[in-house]
Amino acid sequence: MPNILLSVKNAKKTYKGGVTALAGVNLEIHNNEIIAILGSSGAGKSTLIKSILGLVKLDTGKIFFKNNALLGKNFSSLRSSISTIYQNFNLVSRSSVLSNILHGKVSKVSSWRILFSIWPKADQYKAVSLLEEVGLKGMNYNKRVENLSGGQQQRIGIARALIVSPEIILADEPVSSLDPETAKEILKLLKDTAKKNKISILCSLHQVEFAKLFADRVVGMSNGKIIFDKSSKKLFKSDLNKIYK
Amino acid sequence: MKKLNNNLKPPFNLKTIFFIFLFFIVFVISAQRVGIPDIVDRLYEASLDLIGVKNTSKINEGLSRISKEMWPPVVESKKDINLILNFDATNLPLFSYVKVYKDKLYEINPDTLLLEEIEEKEIEFLVEPFGYLKLVFIKILESIEIAFWASFISIVLSIPLAYYSAKNYSPNSLIYFIARSIVSGLRAIPELISVLFMVLAFGFGPAAGIMALGLHSAGFLGKFFAEDIENADTGPQDALIALGASKWRILKLTVLPQVMPQYVAYLLYILDRNLRMATVIGLVGGGGIGQELKGRFDLFEYGHVTTIIIAIFLVVFIFDQLSAKLRSKLIGD
Repeated sequence: MPNILLSVKNAKKTYKGGVTALAGVNLEIHNNEIIAILGSSGAGKSTLIKSILGLVKLDTGKIFFKNNALLGKNFSSLRSSISTIYQNFNLVSRSSVLSNILHGKVSKVSSWRILFSIWPKADQYKAVSLLEEVGLKGMNYNKRVENLSGGQQQRIGIARALIVSPEIILADEPVSSLDPETAKEILKLLKDTAKKNKISILCSLHQVEFAKLFADRVVGMSNGKIIFDKSSKKLFKSDLNKIYK
Repeated sequence: MKKLNNNLKPPFNLKTIFFIFLFFIVFVISAQRVGIPDIVDRLYEASLDLIGVKNTSKINEGLSRISKEMWPPVVESKKDINLILNFDATNLPLFSYVKVYKDKLYEINPDTLLLEEIEEKEIEFLVEPFGYLKLVFIKILESIEIAFWASFISIVLSIPLAYYSAKNYSPNSLIYFIARSIVSGLRAIPELISVLFMVLAFGFGPAAGIMALGLHSAGFLGKFFAEDIENADTGPQDALIALGASKWRILKLTVLPQVMPQYVAYLLYILDRNLRMATVIGLVGGGGIGQELKGRFDLFEYGHVTTIIIAIFLVVFIFDQLSAKLRSKLIGD
């Protein structure tokens, strides 16, 4: 059994207004494992990912990363091993391709470098080589991100996630704003890079067929609870009927 | 079908008519109070005068007093050579010459109590053909400098003000409240009033003008900039929060690139506004071309006034063209 990389224990979250997003979620993510979370809108997928990221504060429950609680002082040091990919890419559209990738290193360089936007040479070389890795070889990296297609933008989002050499990538519906063809390509890219660099992925998805292709394990959520948690090869229609009503 | 009609709100009802009526009454009363009928009267009279139906109009009377003296604009300067220290007739400034004007001296005869000519005097004047133009140029340059320095001060002041008066970046609500109050306070006092205080603090001249304009426009820039920061796309900011970045790093890397085009537009507007205001604040002691304009107006030298007005128009017009070009260059791709 591979080591447990990240574990969520008894996570509960109720938003103001009484919407229960997480109702006691327990989840373990192992090294070098790709997990897809399925569920209809409002099932709690996003909240789960955001709570790991620290963007949502849990009411109760704890999150452990390599057996350390992801809290307070530990948070920022452990955070550097966790990267994120977003549904809307969350890139700075008026900035260049290269600087968007380098943003991944934001908390690792000194203040004056941020102030004058002078990134270390080594990071710049790494960013350019990552551009190649995400399939954008030969792209003009001084181009503004706003001029790129959705698929290209998400590839840059992936490059930004990879620049910190993470151990796990969290992805909140990374392909839901892309067309199916591009979505498939992006997921394939994610899977290949993850396997190559031994990165775990926790990814929420809408499309079942993508989850089957992409993930090692599929977790089904409904009303803030985990309904099933099994290998993607053993996923049956009866399982899906439990989460999509 | 009937049910749907019942659910729809009518486009207007009795309340709407009442408010329109109320508004109309207020409109009429206010027009009477501020003298709108008088404006209409005078314009009607003037237009009759213009087509020759009537030959007197109050507008014409009022303006004709100075309109004849306003043309042509004065470009040369004359100076009595007796008033020039160390005047050297062999070494005159470029293009200038000495011209003799005859001047009569009068005296009251104590016996008859009449003005009598006692002597005719010839006075030599040094005439510089473009002397006044040169003076106007120097003065308007001072106005431009006032505008630039005021804008510079406003940029420096507005950056911290904007940071602390943007709700999502201000450290706490007290600092937010204080920053917002300062921003509102700076905008609340018109430049023409604040320059009076600045004259007391910094003395007559450009310094007072710079401070008055700078503080006022810092209020403007601070408010606009803060609102842009608040409205900036939160997606990229979230991405950097998740990476553990500090507030100012997030601001620098994600917010600044987003708000920059808008900020440049505001900045050019402020510069344009300061340029126009810099010509006005001179009227109350703020330095620049306004001081010269006020002086000439008070001396009834309307030819000089025309020169100044044309110069101001040209500067504002040229800056307009330049800023349009600059904006498209800075904001465009």
